[in-house]
Amino acid sequence: MISGFIKGTASLIAGLGVTIKAFFQPVVTSQYPRELLTISPRFRGHTRLLPDPENPEKNKCTACGICVKSCPSGSIKKVEGEKKEGEKKKTATEYLLDFTTCSQCGICVEVCPFDALDFSHNYNSAGYRREDFHYDLVKELKRTKVQ
Amino acid sequence: MSHITEEIKTSIQGVEPAEVSYPEKGYHYALEASLENLPDIVRFFDKKCFYLECLLCTDYTDTLELVYLFNTHLAPCRFKVTLKIDPQRPIAPSMSAIFDSAYWYEREIHEFYGVLFTGHPNMTYLFLHNDIHEYPLRKGKVPVPPEDKERLDSFKPGEQEDSFFINLGPQHPSTHGVLRVVLKMDGEYIEQAEPVLGYLHRMHEKMAENRSYQQFLPNTGRMDYLGPMSFNLGYVLAVERLCGIPVPERAKFVRIIATELNRICSHLLWLGAYLADLGALTPFLFVFDDREKIQDVLEGITGSRLTYCYFRFGGLYNDVDDPFIEGTKAVVKRMWSRFSLYEKLVTGNVIFINRTKGIGTITKEQARKYGVAGPVLRSAGIACDLRKVEPYSGYDELEVSFPVGEHGDALNTYKIRIAEMENSLRIIEQALAKLPGGPFMAEKVPKKLKPPRGDIYQVVETPRGELGIYIVSDESDRPVRMKWRVPSFSNLMIFPELTKGALLADAVAILGSLDLVIPEIDR
Amino acid sequence: MVNELLNMASSDAGKMILGLIGVLAFVVINALMLTWAERKVAGHMQRRIGPKEVGPFGLIQPIADAIKLLGKEILTPARVDKPLYRLAPILIFVPVLVSFIVIPFDASLQVTDINVGILVILAFSSISVLSILMAGWGSENKYSLIGAIRSVAQNIAYEIPLLLALLPVIMLANSLSLKDIVEKQQGLWFVFIQPVAFIIYFIASVAETNRTPFDLPEAESELVAGYHTEYSGMRFALFFLAEYTNMFIVSAVATTFFLGGYQGPVLPGIVWFLLKSYFLVFVIIWLRWTYPRVRFDQLLNFAWKGMIPLAFLNLIITGGLLKI
Repeated sequence: MISGFIKGTASLIAGLGVTIKAFFQPVVTSQYPRELLTISPRFRGHTRLLPDPENPEKNKCTACGICVKSCPSGSIKKVEGEKKEGEKKKTATEYLLDFTTCSQCGICVEVCPFDALDFSHNYNSAGYRREDFHYDLVKELKRTKVQ
Repeated sequence: MSHITEEIKTSIQGVEPAEVSYPEKGYHYALEASLENLPDIVRFFDKKCFYLECLLCTDYTDTLELVYLFNTHLAPCRFKVTLKIDPQRPIAPSMSAIFDSAYWYEREIHEFYGVLFTGHPNMTYLFLHNDIHEYPLRKGKVPVPPEDKERLDSFKPGEQEDSFFINLGPQHPSTHGVLRVVLKMDGEYIEQAEPVLGYLHRMHEKMAENRSYQQFLPNTGRMDYLGPMSFNLGYVLAVERLCGIPVPERAKFVRIIATELNRICSHLLWLGAYLADLGALTPFLFVFDDREKIQDVLEGITGSRLTYCYFRFGGLYNDVDDPFIEGTKAVVKRMWSRFSLYEKLVTGNVIFINRTKGIGTITKEQARKYGVAGPVLRSAGIACDLRKVEPYSGYDELEVSFPVGEHGDALNTYKIRIAEMENSLRIIEQALAKLPGGPFMAEKVPKKLKPPRGDIYQVVETPRGELGIYIVSDESDRPVRMKWRVPSFSNLMIFPELTKGALLADAVAILGSLDLVIPEIDR
Repeated sequence: MVNELLNMASSDAGKMILGLIGVLAFVVINALMLTWAERKVAGHMQRRIGPKEVGPFGLIQPIADAIKLLGKEILTPARVDKPLYRLAPILIFVPVLVSFIVIPFDASLQVTDINVGILVILAFSSISVLSILMAGWGSENKYSLIGAIRSVAQNIAYEIPLLLALLPVIMLANSLSLKDIVEKQQGLWFVFIQPVAFIIYFIASVAETNRTPFDLPEAESELVAGYHTEYSGMRFALFFLAEYTNMFIVSAVATTFFLGGYQGPVLPGIVWFLLKSYFLVFVIIWLRWTYPRVRFDQLLNFAWKGMIPLAFLNLIITGGLLKI
């Protein structure tokens, strides 16, 4: 019984030692938003359209609609495109994504036959209304290219 | 194994077990039962020390089929017993007197399919509530008749005069999830505990019937959000086995590494939450520090931190790169040095030992009857870990060891989980050493998967225990039935048994030691 | 005019009134600052920073908390027992205020030196048990009731070792007055003569103030919040402030009885007193963030079967040695 008592007291003091040591060690938290962290390259924000490398004014999407059918949540609402003069395929003019139901599974990125989609690194979007997260990816592409 | 088939043929009339190809189906024998000989068959399996792995029901429109899966712990010998029922008059005998694990499975089938199990003591709502007017998992609209509704709705605590009912949850400051337990108290002692589920029910099984195989992938991560890699892995393995898609070696080893890293994350979170339940709030923060390092590494390849959707049919979504390998090595090295911290702060602490020793002891017989899984099973003394007993995805090429306990109490379960974290580190080190080059994705995976007709039962070892996925396919691109046999469901079933006559503080300690994640119970 | 005021202030009654005002101010500032200190210490022990945004190092955080709590709606549930419910938070604060009257902060800084000082402190700290029971019963809530019952049993059980641990010191000092006890520690602090009594007193006082590892009455994970579940806003704040003030009182009594009170070289007495008391308060906070909770029956067993026999033994040995 005495040895149990001594062992018990020793364990209590060992526990105290751990916390007091941690008290004097530096903190492991980072002070977001005063210090921003680097985002890993494969981070899954909302999807974005990729520009065509030959003609940066266009995007690679041809409005085939495969991503619309594959999305498990039905987040891709509408993809519209038009074929301009002298071009072989359509180009997307409107790509409506409802990000509030997206689960970032990556199926749309994977099934796209033209590799037109990729994930963005937008991790801190905030808004007051649900409509703030209804993105038009064609407009987003134009906006981010300007920046 | 074959002597069991011989015995069952001789002892019960009209039973013809057929041997099936285990690599294709996931079970070894199939046998067809009838309403008359089903109790005898189940009693036979009970006598032979089998356990009831899963009990599920499939709606084939013109017939309902009940499937009982029996298995032994040490050498897998899985029997699939099917019973066909008339959908106009769905009645079957209840097996809850023979196997305690059938108790909740039958309640679930009753409220989702309308099958009445005669002899069952308590056919009340398990997941659903009285605003549901049709049986959800039936194909087509089958309304709930009024007498069945009355039977389902008959659980009303608090209307008894001299008992004191208290609610543990559904909101409580521990991260099990949204679980409500109605406790009938006698002063400080618990007379009876009745878990009330369904707060997190999202009908994943119905969603599986309405989505293609590929579209269901994100759902797998949401079912258990603390160990999503193993759920992902189980689903992907099941479909690959059903369609016969071969997986390249590199993908197998990356899957092992990712799943083991996830297992460590899950056990760490359990550790923090368990101690927060018991009153020590500091280890919770230390645990999150460790988890962040692992999640950074996993974010580098998958892009997500909590609900991964990384595995695909035939391999991985994208390949791993050098930062991942370097990061994993650093994480492993760091984790090895952290165990002494937890040893000093928690494991050796006399207050913690007094809180958990001798609490919630599970015997081997109870473990078998309730079908418990995972560390809880191993702490009761049964040496069954599916990574060794039924290896999958490359585990047979590694040296896997696992700890087995003796007493089955909460302290033993705790020590086993700590030892499992150490074993996971060793598995990761071995897998990193053996990681081959080559492709990460199988070559010819069809875009629209249409598996051949048939069914399959795939098991994997999640951090909480044995996960079983039963898929029935009819050559279309959507499954007919997908049943998820989750380990926390069976582990929660033993909770009312363990807390009879226990103190309230002990109930919390027992609940924590079972490591439940309610979203996977509720699906 | 100023001369008259100074004369009034230096009279006995004047000194007492000034002392009371000083004590009140000290109690309020102490309670506020201890909330800040607890959060900072907890943060650093968990490898994170505690409050940091409001003011430098988060020092104005307690004021921000107080303003927030004052601004909350004072919600009285319909079915509570109104007199008990409303009286409980006030009553829990009164005993600690009275206890401050007899604590010697310095040789001349004591509101009044009653010659049965320690008896006053012990008697009034028992009243706080009554107010916890009022809070739990009046809330008409099962969780509060269980919490209050646990708290009453715990407090009653741990008051006995508390008293038994203080008795050897009283025997050594031959007086019940706190000032005399400090004076008698001129050469050697009593902690070196009575280490066992110090440990027993310290553990019993942690149990008296309902702090982890003995905080079952407020066990968050089990009982939502124990006896103060139904309280919100400023009433809730009063419970908390009373707990922190209680922590300081027991540390102050421990300093007075065992650690030499306000004695010490070089620095003025009050600085030593505060340093020693706050060191003990730090140890109480340190214990909270290290250990899990002790189960209720183990707690009572520890008191009745462990601490009380040990304290009795210590008392008998001390008495015997004094006679020799």
